[in-house]
Amino acid sequence: MSETSDDLSLDRLIHEPGRLAILTVLSSVEAADFVFLQRATGLTKGNLSSHLSKLDEAGLVRIVKRFVRKKPNTNVELTPEGERRIADHWDRLERLKGLAQSSAEE
Amino acid sequence: MEREQLEKTAVHYPYLRGLLALPLGFMLIMSGLGNMEWGPFRQEALFVGSVVLALGGYVLITRYYEKNYGSVTPKKRAARVIVGNVATLLGLAGGPILIDALNLPFNGLAVSWALVALVYYSVAIGLRLHHVLIWGAVLVLGLLPIWGDPATSDSVNVGLIVVGTAIMMTGLFDHRVLVRMFESRETNGEMSNVRD
Repeated sequence: MSETSDDLSLDRLIHEPGRLAILTVLSSVEAADFVFLQRATGLTKGNLSSHLSKLDEAGLVRIVKRFVRKKPNTNVELTPEGERRIADHWDRLERLKGLAQSSAEE
Repeated sequence: MEREQLEKTAVHYPYLRGLLALPLGFMLIMSGLGNMEWGPFRQEALFVGSVVLALGGYVLITRYYEKNYGSVTPKKRAARVIVGNVATLLGLAGGPILIDALNLPFNGLAVSWALVALVYYSVAIGLRLHHVLIWGAVLVLGLLPIWGDPATSDSVNVGLIVVGTAIMMTGLFDHRVLVRMFESRETNGEMSNVRD
């Protein structure tokens, strides 16, 4: 059965490399703070903030700002929608990769 | 984009904060030396000072990691985590007691901690070369028939020193793995720093 273009269309919001990295990291843990996300993704503070805002507006992450030992701390976790969409996205990427490999073998 | 690398960074991070092992290893060594009343370590005040130093060190190291690497909350796998922790504690506490009860000519403390460490690391993050070398050496040392009467306090105390040293060495190597893991994220620079 051939895949339809809808099945394989990539989510533009998630496919941006910085946001894909953020969501991939968050999919492996319950939550991560801003410092960890910055170190794990290699993004600058400004870019990480910008990406997190977009993801928060889209309802894919939940951002909790609090104080830890009188210092501001930003904790981020995936929403159920975020978990579903990042899993779908990686699934589509894997299927695209499989299709590409099949085409190359033919 | 290396998906597996990103996921491993997040999942393995709590286990690779190796500097947190330094206070524990230090306390085991000080306990062994204190029990043996070796040189200045017969002074009780020195042991009390060591406890304070270890606790203070643990707090400072925790803050170091939070400031420089951040923090994660691991996924809740309640049953697996509880079983793992209980098994670890039983192994660490019960292992030496069982080996001594069976009157086996091993150092129960060294053998138990080595086996638990090898199982723990293999389950948590996969065994690395330094885990195998360090804890393999402790296991072999513990199994050698050189301990005389294993129930004697000297045998136990030397075991504490050996295990404490191994814990500190493992911690330093784990931290080195952590540093390299994050350095590779920065060097790759493959993430988009372009706003869109």
